[in-house]
Amino acid sequence: MNGAMNRRLLFVLGPVTGLVMFAGVVLIATFLTNREYREPYRAPAATVDTAPRAEGLVDEAADAAATARAKPYVEAEYRTFPVVGSRVAIWAVAQLHLLFAAFVLAVPIFAIIIEVIGYKTGDLRYDRLAHEFTKLLSVSFSLTATFGAFLTFMLIILYPRFTNYLMSVFSPTFLPYVLLFFAEAAFLYTYYYGWGKFHPLVHIGLGVGLNLVGTAIMFIANAWLTFMMSPAGVSDTGAVLSVWDAVYNFTWMPINIHRVIANVAFGGSVAAAYAAFKFLQATTDEERAHYDWMGYIGNFIAIIAFLPLPFAGYWLASEIYAFSQTLGLTMMGGAFSWLFIIQAVLIGNLFLAANYYLWLGMGRVEGAQPLQKFIKYLLIGIAVCFAVWATPRSIIATVSEVRAMGGSAHPVLGFLGVMSAKNTAVNILILTTFMSFLLYRRTGKIATVAWAKTGHAAQLLIFAGVALFVIFLGIYGYFVEAAVRIGLSVPQVTSVLFAMVAITAIDIFLFRGASRTGEVRWGRIPAISQYVLIFIAVTFTWLMGLMGYVRSGLRQHWHVYGVIRDTSADAFTPTLGFATQVVSATVLGFFLLIGFVFWITSLHDRPEYVPAPEPVPHPGGRMVLGDAVRHQPSAAAEK
Amino acid sequence: MTIPVTARIGVLVLASTAFYGYVGQMVPQSEVQPPQETVIRADLTTDEMVTVGREIMDGKGLCFTCHTIGRTGALRFPDLAGVAGRVAERVPGLSDVDYFAQSMYEPDLFVVPGFNPGMPVINRPPIGLTDQEILCVIAYLQSLGGTPTVTLQTSHRYYAAPAAPGAAPPAGAPPAEGTAPGAPPAQGATPGTAPAPAAPPKGALLRPDPSLVAVSDEAGRPAGVVAR
Repeated sequence: MNGAMNRRLLFVLGPVTGLVMFAGVVLIATFLTNREYREPYRAPAATVDTAPRAEGLVDEAADAAATARAKPYVEAEYRTFPVVGSRVAIWAVAQLHLLFAAFVLAVPIFAIIIEVIGYKTGDLRYDRLAHEFTKLLSVSFSLTATFGAFLTFMLIILYPRFTNYLMSVFSPTFLPYVLLFFAEAAFLYTYYYGWGKFHPLVHIGLGVGLNLVGTAIMFIANAWLTFMMSPAGVSDTGAVLSVWDAVYNFTWMPINIHRVIANVAFGGSVAAAYAAFKFLQATTDEERAHYDWMGYIGNFIAIIAFLPLPFAGYWLASEIYAFSQTLGLTMMGGAFSWLFIIQAVLIGNLFLAANYYLWLGMGRVEGAQPLQKFIKYLLIGIAVCFAVWATPRSIIATVSEVRAMGGSAHPVLGFLGVMSAKNTAVNILILTTFMSFLLYRRTGKIATVAWAKTGHAAQLLIFAGVALFVIFLGIYGYFVEAAVRIGLSVPQVTSVLFAMVAITAIDIFLFRGASRTGEVRWGRIPAISQYVLIFIAVTFTWLMGLMGYVRSGLRQHWHVYGVIRDTSADAFTPTLGFATQVVSATVLGFFLLIGFVFWITSLHDRPEYVPAPEPVPHPGGRMVLGDAVRHQPSAAAEK
Repeated sequence: MTIPVTARIGVLVLASTAFYGYVGQMVPQSEVQPPQETVIRADLTTDEMVTVGREIMDGKGLCFTCHTIGRTGALRFPDLAGVAGRVAERVPGLSDVDYFAQSMYEPDLFVVPGFNPGMPVINRPPIGLTDQEILCVIAYLQSLGGTPTVTLQTSHRYYAAPAAPGAAPPAGAPPAEGTAPGAPPAQGATPGTAPAPAAPPKGALLRPDPSLVAVSDEAGRPAGVVAR
């Protein structure tokens, strides 16, 4: 023991002695240098100020004070944020605020639906699940509010004149917004802390109130941001003519609908990621079964909400075109057109991952083998659609390659880069994913109704018919004028929606009273499926960040499109590479924070704190631990 | 050694984010600068206006976001190749200059059959070309299958060129655009009779500057002097 101590002492003594010696040398050198004789400085005679120094200083101070008093107030137009600049600072804070806000608005939507299912069926598992989802709300709500306040301050500080303008246009909306925010807090905390404390219907009523107030808050905030993109209700110079028109501008309602759906999809994916996180940390089969089920429900919500999202996107895009063709074409054919190739990669990955998770999930059910043989066909369909969707119209090529192709578009693949092909691909992708769901739904079941064969044939016929119709319209679009071609996306979308509704309706009746080949064994799923859920959540978040950028960046050098021009140093539109870096950084920030939310939420399940036993003196003179140790029966005593 | 779950999740999040960030680097990168003020010299010749008009269409005018030149097939907006040869018969009673002007000042009055309305009003925000810039664009459009005739002194149904001091046109004299397509350029035919406009009613950006013809406002391209 002493030997070891001495070695440590010697080890430390060396550097310490070295440092002391170095300090000593510096001190001695400084001391000697300071005592060296130097000639005193003497200013040249011509520069010597003959005025009394004290009076001169007083005069200078008085001049400075007078100048300061006379300085007029000038409102700053912009201020600069250090290092990253104002735009990136606002961008990151706004994106984080929006991601948390989306989550806080989404969770109550599906929590209330699950709670109602639990109430109607009397199955307490649903009630527990809804409660578990709601646990994530409390901390997220605080973070949303914090980032909201942060964003407001940043806007006032960095873009004071523009913020002032926006506040003047929408001044009547701010007080209702604040009051609704109070109501949101009241509903949320009562809903969360009141779980099991009220009659179920009262509690459901609180949940409905929470959702209504949350949606109203979002609608108000959407009015501000959509006004910036498609202003209405103001004159050419920005003077307010009608606040209601400013609110109810071209893109307000499409954004409202799009955001409600997207929030549910995003919220479902993040909740599924939470379940995956808990699943991977689970130590018992019961926990694994519960979190597997929770992850499945979260992902189910995410994908079900995700399927109609492209249709809401079509509506939003068509309203953007209706407001301004220039804005629409900047989005789809101008500076942002390549962004949609990145979007295709993201959405393709989402579809692929969601389907993969479903296919893995089939293994939970006994007797899944007959249906698993279809997976390869679905995978081929998804891969082909993904490839078509991600094919750009023009290709980055060398001069010789461009010459060889006869232009920037590839002579064959270039045809896949236009909207006719992409609309077709995305519709088939949606149909294919829907079929994956259908396969999963019927895994382990055998239809016993008398018309089972006819039912299956009808479903197959509808699916094949609609798929062929969508492909036909896509090809037809190449041979007609623009005015006709643009309209073809409507029957494509409508037919896919019809197929989804019709096939589901048949399926419900087809499998009523079906016999089962095996039970669902929750928790019996490979661990990789849980990482897939987390990947889906990351992809959704990144997608939201990217689409948030295009919605906002579309205005280019305008704060309010066509009305208030951005004259700041950040008025240019950055490269997509830079934009994606900012999106990535924001997404990482979000996952760090949501990890914090998950950790805080998981404290619910942590066992109560037990104080560490105090050491007590052993009769033999050595210290031992207290009661916990003393009361443990010794091995000898057990024998 | 077992890697903790949180570390695995962290690596997954980082890798996924990095992958998407990488995809973002793989697409073409262009930084789009806001349009700069266009400076047009008052004594611009028609040939110079053609060059400036092309630059405006490329940049501030955003024309080629929608229109093409020399492309066929499934088009969303009319192709402009040879447009000067077609416009004279498009709308009865409208000269080529008036037709081009109408398509920019009031684009929805006439829409080429087979296409949807979609052209924005060009002299208002967000594009907001000045009257002189629009004249330059008209000069370029005339050059596509025809002979440019307009000058900065050309009037049309949406713009009256200001009379030069001391050079009032005779009563009843037709405006400069009265020259038929194919006629020699106006600036060559009437030297000295159509001096630079003294004070244009619109287009505050018009600043006579003998050293400059036009400053390109090309989106994403470096600004520079186009012609001297």
